[in-house]
Amino acid sequence: MPRAIRGVLVECDPSIKSIIVKIDSEEHAYVVEELDDQTLVIQENMLPLLKARLDDALKETQQPADDSGSD
Amino acid sequence: VVDQIRLWQIENERMKATPGFLFKEFENQKEYEGCAKYADEIGVLVWKSDAKRMFFVTRHEQLRDHIKSRKAK
Repeated sequence: MPRAIRGVLVECDPSIKSIIVKIDSEEHAYVVEELDDQTLVIQENMLPLLKARLDDALKETQQPADDSGSD
Repeated sequence: VVDQIRLWQIENERMKATPGFLFKEFENQKEYEGCAKYADEIGVLVWKSDAKRMFFVTRHEQLRDHIKSRKAK
């Protein structure tokens, strides 16, 4: 019998996927299965937390090194 | 910098999440193909990989029954 695993199929850009994999590598709490470059299966109950972590990671990337502020 | 931010936002929105079930560990290629075909026919198939012999469906009840009935034969 094949196995059926509950989860959320996430389809995104390879850049986003690599960030998700990086977040998961710290705790191994999110990713159920990596499927390909832009597809993975995530634990359903962990999705909101993952989205929050992803938003944080993206914010960090957005902020330039200098925060001298605008004029 | 503004352009960069915009790009990230677009990428973020491009993320698509579909709840359901991943089917894996089929005994053989024939079983995999039969199940994937059935899942497609009943309209629950959202992703599949022939190379990995895995697929993802939005609902699994009907497919489970189908697999069981095939086994019973």
